Amino acid sequence: MTAQMIVNGLISAALIAPPAVAFSMLFGILRFPNFAIGGYITVGVFAAYAINVQFGLPLWLASLGAMLAGSVVVWASDQIIFRPMRASAPVTLLVVSIALTFVLEHSVRLIFGADVKGFDLPLERPLVFGGVHVTRPQLYLIGAAVLVVIITHLLLTRTRLGKAMRAMADNPQLAEVRGIRSVLVRIAVTLYCGALLGISGVSAGLDLVIEPLLGWGLTIPIIAAAILGGIGSVYGAMLGAVLVGLAEEFTTLVLPSSYKIGVGFVMITILLLLRPHGLLGQPEIKK
Amino acid sequence: MLAYFVAMATYAGFFMILAQGLNLQWGMTGMVNFGVAGFYAIGAYSGALLSTRVGITPELAIALAGAIAGVAGLGVSLLTVRLREDYFAIVTLGFGEIVRLFALNEDWLTEGPKGLRIPVRPFDFGLGNTAYSLVYLGVVALVVLVIYAICERIRTGPYGRTLRAIREDDVVAGVLGKYVLRFRVQIFVLGSVFMGIAGALFAHYIQNISPDTFMPMIAIFIWMSVIVGGYGNNKGLLLGAGIVMLILEGSRFLGDFTSIVTSQQLSSIRIILIGVILMAVLRFKPRGLIPEPKFVSEFEKAS
Amino acid sequence: MRILISRRRVVTGSTAAVLGAAFIPRFASASDPINIGSLTPNTGGGAPYGGNMAAAIKRTVDQINAAGGVLNRQIKLTQEDGETNPETATRAADKLINVNQVMAILGTWASSVTLGIMPKCQSANVIQMCVSSSSDIPLRDTKGLVFNFQVLNPVWGRALGQLALEHGYKRFKLMALNNDFTKSILDGFVDAVGAGRLLEKPFYYNANQASYKSEVSHLLAGTPDAVFIPGYVTDFTAIYKDIYRSGYKGRVITVTFAASGPFKAAVGDAAEGILHGYPIPPLDSPAYKQYLREAGLEDNGQIQHPYGTLCRDQVSVLALAIQKAGSTDADKVKKAIFDVSTGPGKKTVYNVLDGLKALRAGEEINYSGAGSPVEFDSRRQTVDRDVQLYEIKGGKDVILSTRKG
Repeated sequence: MTAQMIVNGLISAALIAPPAVAFSMLFGILRFPNFAIGGYITVGVFAAYAINVQFGLPLWLASLGAMLAGSVVVWASDQIIFRPMRASAPVTLLVVSIALTFVLEHSVRLIFGADVKGFDLPLERPLVFGGVHVTRPQLYLIGAAVLVVIITHLLLTRTRLGKAMRAMADNPQLAEVRGIRSVLVRIAVTLYCGALLGISGVSAGLDLVIEPLLGWGLTIPIIAAAILGGIGSVYGAMLGAVLVGLAEEFTTLVLPSSYKIGVGFVMITILLLLRPHGLLGQPEIKK
Repeated sequence: MLAYFVAMATYAGFFMILAQGLNLQWGMTGMVNFGVAGFYAIGAYSGALLSTRVGITPELAIALAGAIAGVAGLGVSLLTVRLREDYFAIVTLGFGEIVRLFALNEDWLTEGPKGLRIPVRPFDFGLGNTAYSLVYLGVVALVVLVIYAICERIRTGPYGRTLRAIREDDVVAGVLGKYVLRFRVQIFVLGSVFMGIAGALFAHYIQNISPDTFMPMIAIFIWMSVIVGGYGNNKGLLLGAGIVMLILEGSRFLGDFTSIVTSQQLSSIRIILIGVILMAVLRFKPRGLIPEPKFVSEFEKAS
Repeated sequence: MRILISRRRVVTGSTAAVLGAAFIPRFASASDPINIGSLTPNTGGGAPYGGNMAAAIKRTVDQINAAGGVLNRQIKLTQEDGETNPETATRAADKLINVNQVMAILGTWASSVTLGIMPKCQSANVIQMCVSSSSDIPLRDTKGLVFNFQVLNPVWGRALGQLALEHGYKRFKLMALNNDFTKSILDGFVDAVGAGRLLEKPFYYNANQASYKSEVSHLLAGTPDAVFIPGYVTDFTAIYKDIYRSGYKGRVITVTFAASGPFKAAVGDAAEGILHGYPIPPLDSPAYKQYLREAGLEDNGQIQHPYGTLCRDQVSVLALAIQKAGSTDADKVKKAIFDVSTGPGKKTVYNVLDGLKALRAGEEINYSGAGSPVEFDSRRQTVDRDVQLYEIKGGKDVILSTRKG
């Protein structure tokens, strides 16, 4: 029973970790909490649906399509809305991002309708290892999430672009002075995070259900995981996702499951009181 | 038609009271409260339960509901007052959701998903429906004005100047230490009291509340009111609340003029339009329509 | 084939007309129109159902108007979005009542919305027709203006429970969406199978969660013979996927609108073997078949549009009642609703146009609808109806039995 709960928690974590990484990067580098991640995920999953079901192409191709759609939408929304407003207060940007998520969700609904949908992939029965059941797609999901985290970490630590991103996150003015082209870095960040959010949509569509409210339901756990782990830390986002995933599984032992949604919040509150910068976050030096 | 405008004005009034409470919390001390729906719900349910189950006269129940919301505000702010602005937002959002879940699950107290009916009418002088609705609007308007006066007094007095200094500059805040925390908690509690009163007034007006009346959407609309009206500005937010209500309800009239699209498509278009308008307003006027005049010191004016 | 061709002509013709009409603001027509409003869940949790509901209402109104209207007056329909949220729905109701001057509001789905707008409707003497299931609805309807087209009591849950017993299942676990409606169905099921056969007390989940795995684990613990899960299609789809992926081989029982067409399309062959039931419409009802044609749907052996059908019935019954009452006065119409829908010994009609013709000829009618035979008890709730029980086989809903209500 416990082993199964751990596996379930890891599957949830695998769903939440890549978008939490994206949220964390966007927050760290663009400097505001972008609530439109729900809308971006929804766009991603429906793009994949259109390619896979309406055009009849295989799921791996649809996933690439989802990543492309995600990149385009995140980049475009940044170009048109967020970047011109970058001098505004974070809370203003937060409110704008919420308006954006509604626009995205309802645009998707306008085009595709509100009925539930699924990918053109049969549901599978599970593999069983010593009393624990897990399906093959779920194993892929976990593998993909780990891959995303590792690739992102390598991007941020081993590439010039990644180092530029980190410099911008730490201290944007200093980064400018040292010749880092913030405009290009910003574009790169939005494209990369958009791809992550697009592929997260495919995972969510596989594990849950394809419908316009999909992204909204995931938004809170994603943000919880990112904040728990510490904004700006990729491994922190992953750790946060694992904690949130496991906590939601294990809480049902003590609380009725109808309070499950509240668990993530309570965890964040407790953690932030003890460690205000999250588990692996860096304390900021305020100006 | 008059009845419609009276009703819309009353709803706008509830938004205005909520916005004033929020603006007190944020505008004065920078506490980004996204749990507005939670305090609204606490006020609504407390007021409703006090007047229907406990049998207290509704006018008094409304006042007590404000106090109860204030106590909740005390709890929340004591826990979270040290948190960073962005984190405060998510924690308070959580608070709002937990309140809603509590109302949904604990049906021995709140009737759960069935919702609570409130047949009691405050300010009931035995009038007919139309006159009553005007009286209610009058009461709400009065409350808005009284709260406005209180907020202005706070803003222009020394207490308020200190608060704004804290908001603008963390170093000052750091130097003042515990003092800052005390200010923040006091203001947060006061803001919560206003939100609770709004909730109780709302509950007695629509006479039927349920947990899904208090979704996070409310926090978002009130935030829109505060920001669209003018970042931290008391006059501005009244305008902001009016404009948000106008956009929300005015967009319904679109459907009366076209029949090309289906009703469901029109609903999605309406929400997209609302989102786009709000984004556009904030994009082009990020400090709101009536921005707070920046505080300019005598020294700067002279040079 | 013939139907397809004429439909195409109708579609081309009406598109041209609509495009023309779309650019003309629709103000009151010369002769005094009858104003009605709809408040369907076009967005929010009820959105999978709201679109069909709104479309059915509009379609039926258009049909009536094309045939000359009621009492020689055209019906003017205003459609609003309830957003599955009582806070915004009350403002929409305010507009319908005070600006559009409607005499009736149709199509509310969530009981929180139906109850939420009730105070305003009652004080304005506006008739309500809903498909909600709170037992509070008749309690709070002091003026007798609210007609519920969805079965209120747990007869449905009981029928499913009886079906489960007949299949030989003895050990059950139950879980439901945390909602008034599903709770009362659960109660009916427990009534039928007996609390002793439950492995554990029933428990509840919320909609739009990021994961249902812990609920599903909890549900399947102890390996019950069968599980019963009344919910809505969005949450049920996610939950069923987790049940299937956990390897559970027992029987899954639910309500028909959770295991709808889109559900079957989303999960494919994995839907095989699900038992479900619904008090509506017997697949072979002439009114239901007419609905399918009106909506342009194929008769594919599945229950389709469970709520759209009920909304077609709402408009039809209202129009017939207005014709019978000879006026739009709410007190007269509310009595006439019984006259045209309930009671024996009258001519059965399956659609509103036939009904109007019969009424004009002075006959007494009993409207039997696409969503149900439409019979009301004295509290204006749809009477216990036959519940039809199905099993999903080969992607279709195969009728297993019909239980008398």
